[in-house]
Amino acid sequence: MNRLEVLEALAALRRGVPLVIGPGLANYPIAALADDPLTIYNMDMPYVTPTALGIALGWPARRVVAVEGDGSLLAGPGVLATIARYQVRNLIVLVFDNGAYLTTGSGRATTATSHGTDVEGLGRAAGLVQACTVADLPAARAALQRAFAEPGPWLIVAKVDTSDRDRAPRDAPLPVAVYEAGLRFRRAALAQPALFPAAPAAP
Amino acid sequence: MAAQPSAPRPPAPGPRYRSEALEAFDDGFRAAGIDFAVFLPDSLLDGIEQALLARGEIPCYQCSREDEGIAMAMGAFLVGKRPVALMEGSGIGLSALILARGIVQRTPTLIVAGHSSTLGERYDYHGATRLVAEPVLRALDIPCHVLADVGQIRTAVVQAQHTVEGQRIPVALLVPPFVIREA
Repeated sequence: MNRLEVLEALAALRRGVPLVIGPGLANYPIAALADDPLTIYNMDMPYVTPTALGIALGWPARRVVAVEGDGSLLAGPGVLATIARYQVRNLIVLVFDNGAYLTTGSGRATTATSHGTDVEGLGRAAGLVQACTVADLPAARAALQRAFAEPGPWLIVAKVDTSDRDRAPRDAPLPVAVYEAGLRFRRAALAQPALFPAAPAAP
Repeated sequence: MAAQPSAPRPPAPGPRYRSEALEAFDDGFRAAGIDFAVFLPDSLLDGIEQALLARGEIPCYQCSREDEGIAMAMGAFLVGKRPVALMEGSGIGLSALILARGIVQRTPTLIVAGHSSTLGERYDYHGATRLVAEPVLRALDIPCHVLADVGQIRTAVVQAQHTVEGQRIPVALLVPPFVIREA
């Protein structure tokens, strides 16, 4: 199973759900398959999940997804405890665990998960109950479908290979630059009056 | 005669906070329209944080690390909230990258941080805390204001939030010990 296949499954379920993606190759399939103004691309590690957590806490009526890498999450794992503490029911954290810093340089540097670290175990130890590891595409699809249908918080660890590394269009532009994405996201969020009956007017 | 086990000692009394300072922060947050708070506990700001939690009017969340908290605040801003992040000044030392990201992507937050480089820093164990916050803020061109008097607090909070919203940049208020704690 590779990252692209799982992202295709996520894109099919997304339907405008707010989404924060970490740095690297996962950005391009989401941009190609399921871009939406409610997307923050290339969020610096380890702030993917904390940003998504803030969105989820500020918008409890809406499901929110964080798309993480194992290296990024391991740079700031304390956020799993914060999520568990507040039992943030509308948050899904999808972690691509390929055991490497695949986007970085040669892609040969391994993460701790290649040496025994268990991200699902970290999540459960932090207090997350809806935590699972999926290693094939049918299991990944089933886990994502449950996460989009049932209250969370959800931690889905997708064990993926590195076969997508040379397929991603690294030089292709994303729909928005980092310096535009925050403005685009916020305007789109504030333009949904049914969910924000008392929201301030967008500037 | 066998020695009797000693009775459990009551917890040591904590710091005493100036009630007028706590009220001024509370008043300032409400006047500024703050509607989301995130914090990592700090001995100088604990009185403010506990008051926020007790009052319950502003959703208030405790993070695991200060830079995580700033990212949470920025996420809340993305969905229309007016956040404040409270922390010890050392947390600004951990937060340079997320603060920079907030500047680039225009997702600001008001920051209230305990300690400053100059006023009232008696203790050696605050040496690194004292050193780190203002240089990080200056390096990123993030405005910061050191509160010097209780009478400034409400106005500073409201006016700092005006800058956060008008300029879409983070703004920090630094709180020296003598402003918030009783002598």
